[in-house]
Amino acid sequence: MSKPNMQFSKIRLSRRSFLKTSAATAGWLMLPGLGMHPSWAQDTRVLRVRDYGDPQSLDPGIASNLYEEHVNAAVHNKLIAYKPGNKWEWQLEAARSIEQMDPTHITFELKPGITFTNGFGEMTAEDVKFSYERIIDPELKSPIKGDWATLASVDVTDKYSGVIVLSKPFQPLWMTTLPYMGGNIVSKKAVEAAGGKFAAMPSCFSGPYIIKEREPKQRTVLARNPEWKGAPAGFDEIHIFPIDDEKTAEMGFEAGDLDYTRVSMSSYKNLKKTPPKNSVVEKYPSLYYVWLGMNMEHPKLSDERVRRAVQYAVDIPSILAAAYDGVADPATGYVPPGLVGHRPDTLVPPNADFAKAKALLAEAGYPDGIDLDLEVRNKAVYIAAGQVIQAMAAQAGIRMNLNLHDSGSFWSLGDESKGDRWKKLQLVLNRFSSAPDPHYAAQWFTREQVGVWNWERFKNAEYNQLYEQALAEGDKDKRDRMYRRMQELMEASGAYRFITHEAVPVIYTDRITPALRPDGMPLLRYFTTA
Amino acid sequence: MLFYLLKRVGLAVVIVVVAVVLLYSMIHVVPGDPASVILGPRATPEMKQELHKLMGLDRPFVVQVVSFLGKVARGNLGMDFFSQRPVAEIVFKQLDETLVLVLASITWAMLLGIPLGCYSAVFRNTFSDKLVGVFSIGVIAVPSFVVALYSLLFFAVTLKWLPAIGAGESGQFLDQARHLILPAFAIGLGWVGYIARLVRASMLEVLNENHIRRARAFGLPETTIVFHYALKLAILPTVTLLGTGIGRLISSAVFAEIVFARPGIGKLIFDSVVSRNYPLVMGAVVVSTVLFVLSTTISDSINAMLDPRVRERL
Repeated sequence: MSKPNMQFSKIRLSRRSFLKTSAATAGWLMLPGLGMHPSWAQDTRVLRVRDYGDPQSLDPGIASNLYEEHVNAAVHNKLIAYKPGNKWEWQLEAARSIEQMDPTHITFELKPGITFTNGFGEMTAEDVKFSYERIIDPELKSPIKGDWATLASVDVTDKYSGVIVLSKPFQPLWMTTLPYMGGNIVSKKAVEAAGGKFAAMPSCFSGPYIIKEREPKQRTVLARNPEWKGAPAGFDEIHIFPIDDEKTAEMGFEAGDLDYTRVSMSSYKNLKKTPPKNSVVEKYPSLYYVWLGMNMEHPKLSDERVRRAVQYAVDIPSILAAAYDGVADPATGYVPPGLVGHRPDTLVPPNADFAKAKALLAEAGYPDGIDLDLEVRNKAVYIAAGQVIQAMAAQAGIRMNLNLHDSGSFWSLGDESKGDRWKKLQLVLNRFSSAPDPHYAAQWFTREQVGVWNWERFKNAEYNQLYEQALAEGDKDKRDRMYRRMQELMEASGAYRFITHEAVPVIYTDRITPALRPDGMPLLRYFTTA
Repeated sequence: MLFYLLKRVGLAVVIVVVAVVLLYSMIHVVPGDPASVILGPRATPEMKQELHKLMGLDRPFVVQVVSFLGKVARGNLGMDFFSQRPVAEIVFKQLDETLVLVLASITWAMLLGIPLGCYSAVFRNTFSDKLVGVFSIGVIAVPSFVVALYSLLFFAVTLKWLPAIGAGESGQFLDQARHLILPAFAIGLGWVGYIARLVRASMLEVLNENHIRRARAFGLPETTIVFHYALKLAILPTVTLLGTGIGRLISSAVFAEIVFARPGIGKLIFDSVVSRNYPLVMGAVVVSTVLFVLSTTISDSINAMLDPRVRERL
């Protein structure tokens, strides 16, 4: 070993002094006394929540994402709004009263004294008329136009009253239009002054909160609306952080940076067993539905017996155990429990029947089995589900090849307008979001949706007929039977194997009382301190 | 030197144009429809068609590329159809965050890596040198996302000393600095090792050169010899490494931005590719390519200034 050829100690910045300086700097930055770490800023009047996306457009007429609605619902008013709790119900919000006079006429009366900020005056029936009619105006190109598809007009009776006139009866209005994205009321004056639509930030608000600050991709800050005269807002400010990854959000919660977040299904059991200090972990049923779809027009799957073989070869309990950590329950269709149209059972039992699957394949002319392609989104949960399906199906002689896609590629797989990819589509593990009325899920499987969102290319005259009838049907029991029958028709076609509705596990600090929809989605304006 | 600079800038422009054309082609080859993502499931085919027209996607590919390059030359990166805001505004807002993160990471890595490298070279083959060697190789081997995750779990979740998510409140310097510590630590740690190894190797070479021996013979203080004469030459490869390292740092920043839920250009590109937001992808890619090319051009120019032989090699 050679000896050092110089005295390094002559150098003024010695190793020790360097380390001392570094440690002192780091220690200073970490000093709790500076009070800059959110986890120390335990101001009970600031609520910090995570949402899975960053709002792009905050004009209620053109916003179409749930995370945009979370903000809009806190800063605007609707005639009626979802009631927090375990049952899908609505309650009056801006309306003093609202009533269905006949299948196509709904009268309403606004509460007097609801004002728009920034001097845009009191909310009137004219604002309601403007807000709803602009959504069906082709000029606006609203993505939620379908929610008001049957709106003929809103007739103003006096300053606070009016009549919503429908061109034909539309039952989902009460659960998916008025209390949801299409129900937000904006100021006619403000929107017109903004040139017909709000840009990134609305110029006025009427809810218990206003948008104080938007830092794209970082956070949205809502602050108490000083002009709000209703029940006081629970917090001085709400900070909404857009965090796509649930695991990151979980760590943010555990570090004390968040008060409420949805967590991953894979973490639910651990968190429930050993929850972080001062936190509550709960699980809610989700409105999402996951299914294995089969392209009925693909030559390999045009024989119903092949499709039925695939149905029998998929073991639902194994998928739920492996991909959903046993947290989710099997689905019986696209309507989850608790909503009109939910089916108690499926035609094909959740457990696989490999012998029956093999027999069906042999009958269809595939005694040595069949090779099929399964398209899956590249998210851990779907990949796991796809691998289980692959392994199970192999036992019935169905050799599946898994193709992974990022979401951009995945969502155009069955879209006819995007070339010929739909022709090669065989099996697809799909997942759609939904709303608390069966119509919302049912609409994607009509004949008109073939090649758009109906990738199975399921065409059934009875389904279409029932779909139209159910939209207008006011009798709850009759609607229930119609939607059950529609899902039965889908399953009987062999093109669908319903898997699960997933679950929504959430975690929140015990210093807040969250207000959640029955599916665990937050209604921020009703959150309060515990 | 002027001729060298002109050649270098010309080459930089060619690199940017080629990179933009390549990336533009790649993103259009990947299947996926931005209109479906932007408008959501309830969009009608007519609405999708109209958006395609608005985005210029109905035009031939070559026309799209030429039109895009023309706009870029005029400093116009287009509009983001999701948020209806100028792409440049979105990209530069995110770029600020990434640049701060990258600069913080590389600064602390240099502050520690250069002295460590010098120390190792001066005390070569001692126990301390070997210890620094093991440390350097160790931190190079650990991926930055692993450092990010474990530092987050330890310092934010377990000890609760530092925040886990976000970039801090705008305008609050201390809050932003606090939010920067863990991500900068995660990204910079590997670079401490790189820089230490590189500086050590260069220093060993330089310390044996004649002019250093002569300086020592004249009785100059060792501090002056190491930091004034030897380091000036030994730092050259590190400057080059830092120039080309900007691209790698931006890639590492993506992980830190995801793990710490920070805004930044890496995450912006990732999210935009997933949602097929072509205008935003291209805007962000153009800006980061220019940034990368600019940093390599600057580092090459510094090298050329410090070492005239470099000028002859271009």
